[in-house]
Amino acid sequence: MNYPFWDVPLIGGGILIGIVAILHVFVAHFAIGGGLYLALTERKAIKENDQKLINYLKKHSKFFLLVTVVFGALSGVGIWFTIGLVHPSATSTLIHSFVFGWAIEWVFFIVEISAILIYYATWDKLDPKTHNTIGWIYFAGAYLSLVIINGILSFMLTSGKWVDIPFTEPSKKFWVGFFNPSYFPSLFIRTGVALALAGLYSLITATRVEDEELRTKLVQYSGKWLVPAFILIPVAGIWYISIIPPLAREISMGGAPAVTVFAVLSIVFSLIIALFAWLGPIKTPKQTSFAFALGLLVIGFMVTAVTEWVREAVRKPYIIYNYMYSNAILKTQGDKINEIGALNFAKWVSVKEINEENVLKAGEEIFRVQCQSCHTIDGYNGIKKLISGWSENYIDFQLQHLDMLKGFMPPFYGTEQERKALAKWLYSLNEEKTK
Amino acid sequence: MTQQIIIPEPDPIPLPAPYWLLKFLLVLTFILHIIAMNFALGGGIITGITDLIGRKKNSQFHLNLARSFSKMLPIATAFTITLGVAPLLFIQVLYGQYFYTASIILAWPWLSVILLLLIGYYGYYIYQFNFEKLQGVRAWIVLGSAVLFALIGLIYTNTLVLMLTPEKWAQKYFANPHGTNFNFDDPTVIPRYLHFLVASVSVAGLLVLIYGLVKLKSDESFGRWAVRYGGLWFVIGTVVQYATGIWFLLALKKDLMMIFMGGNGVATAVFGISVLLSLVSLILILLSFNAQNPRPLSIFGIVLLFLTIVGMAVMRDILRDAYLSDYFKPEQFEVQPQISVLIVFGIVFIAGLITVGYMLNKVIKAKPVTT
Repeated sequence: MNYPFWDVPLIGGGILIGIVAILHVFVAHFAIGGGLYLALTERKAIKENDQKLINYLKKHSKFFLLVTVVFGALSGVGIWFTIGLVHPSATSTLIHSFVFGWAIEWVFFIVEISAILIYYATWDKLDPKTHNTIGWIYFAGAYLSLVIINGILSFMLTSGKWVDIPFTEPSKKFWVGFFNPSYFPSLFIRTGVALALAGLYSLITATRVEDEELRTKLVQYSGKWLVPAFILIPVAGIWYISIIPPLAREISMGGAPAVTVFAVLSIVFSLIIALFAWLGPIKTPKQTSFAFALGLLVIGFMVTAVTEWVREAVRKPYIIYNYMYSNAILKTQGDKINEIGALNFAKWVSVKEINEENVLKAGEEIFRVQCQSCHTIDGYNGIKKLISGWSENYIDFQLQHLDMLKGFMPPFYGTEQERKALAKWLYSLNEEKTK
Repeated sequence: MTQQIIIPEPDPIPLPAPYWLLKFLLVLTFILHIIAMNFALGGGIITGITDLIGRKKNSQFHLNLARSFSKMLPIATAFTITLGVAPLLFIQVLYGQYFYTASIILAWPWLSVILLLLIGYYGYYIYQFNFEKLQGVRAWIVLGSAVLFALIGLIYTNTLVLMLTPEKWAQKYFANPHGTNFNFDDPTVIPRYLHFLVASVSVAGLLVLIYGLVKLKSDESFGRWAVRYGGLWFVIGTVVQYATGIWFLLALKKDLMMIFMGGNGVATAVFGISVLLSLVSLILILLSFNAQNPRPLSIFGIVLLFLTIVGMAVMRDILRDAYLSDYFKPEQFEVQPQISVLIVFGIVFIAGLITVGYMLNKVIKAKPVTT
């Protein structure tokens, strides 16, 4: 309510964030796991004095550079741009709570980018050992950036005791928020994902190697990079689920059917990858083709997409747990809004006082500042469809008990007059349709 | 008609460090970002034009320079982005309520920056990796990328000027909440933008000059040519820059203009010294063209120009606070320092510098001539 609401037609801001975020996550985890892949495989090549393997790594590092340094870095900035536009208040909270966390991550970025640019440019210029060291520096920088961002991301779902610590204990507040309850399970899951994606992406370049002997060896080697993930992810996953807020667990396990379907899909797709990685690259590396590798990567992308979607969905009704609701209202502001009214509290509304003439306009404004961060009118999660057939009284009844009837929605905040105006406007959408 | 002024409340979370430290980091990292940006944008423009001249005149010097710079451009772009993250962070810390609001009003252009950057960035890599193969079209690819980058600058200027003029927000937002606005009705946007665009060509000219200095050892005649060629870009750019600068200054509202003309002692001094430094730098670079040894003169000129950039960045900051003086009161910030986090940041920062230093040292030792 503090910031103007950016009206994105049809898809709404949430989907926009989703698109950018999923693309980024899919590349960023490769940027981490792939760094370890480069460093370890180069070490192996140096040990075995395998020039052919070095030549493969040279080519693979170009692919790696073009995917991670360009797309990975830019899509990361892209998420930041997008959330700042769609959820400015939440972005501001994350920025202000972790200013020097972000600054620390920035240092790791600089190290990471410098290292990979040097790594790629010096294959024939540095002695192999030093070159390999640069590879390790890259991986260290990349992994440490995960160590930082993971604290901030996991904080959003499990803010833990952060909310209760006063701002007069600033250092404690920072660390408690950062090392929040889901920090470690989340870090382990992401580490597993990074390793798996290192394998999936390197299969893309490995299956295109012309030398059959090297290709067979590489395909099998790359396939094995998926194995740790299938131990790490389920174990850390169960830990993660056991630690997240009960409401979040409920949403993912039947409370909200769409979320449950996606959660199940995430597991099914992962099992498909496990099965085919075993049957293909690991058991029959010689027959594993580029198309097969591409298929696995596409399924990998689908796992990323549905899992990220679930991770976002289970956080409802909050955007930052127990602190800020999805519509940017702070939990502590509720009483004040009930007292002075949502229109008075909101900054960017053209109606402040409701009278007989502007009641529909007022309802629409309330919808914009309080509902539209999740609901569009006609498009994604469209309100028109959701309330189709409801009477004005029934809409008003729902508005009074939003948080109880639908656990994943924040309560309505505002005066009775405002709630009635919102109900009236919502009901007018129904009338529009019947005309 | 009375203007409706709506300004969001600042974030209720206190600052984790003193205001001056955050301000210092904002300006410092902005300077680093803007220099890398100058190399990426101005470098692209110079490289593309040099490539065209080289092919037309069949000049090996021009083509060699374009070939060398094709490798520099993606690196400069990578650092523009990475170094840009820090000022973007600190501006949200100190000026969040202005920054978010302005960017929301221009949401689609603002978001399109990412796409433009992505295409332009890949364009630079296409140029580098296919330099020999592409021949005729390659110069247009690198120039195309540079044009996309120049567009990004224009969007930035639009947004960041709107950020400084809260008087215009409500009117723009209520007329169009879909985020497809621009800010061209502000008379300072175009001159301010040109002042940044021309600077990038000028500063990238100095990079060519530095490249020439490095080449002097291995290839005296090529090195000398590059020193003069780059110096000429710098000189012409800087002369044009005086014109855009005057235009920008005159386009400012009178009370804002006057802070640099005696109204504010510090602002006036920084302005005067910066202009003077750039003039001396210009003369030194001109003198280096025909000097027996161009090195000392030009290096001195480069140092002075770097100081000019610092001065300009400080002026930019003073101007921002002058624009916002009715609303932005630094003394109103609540500060609750996160000492332990600051210490970790300090350690990580120093370790990061050492690590990058170590890697650069290895690279320089491996190959004495940088390309």
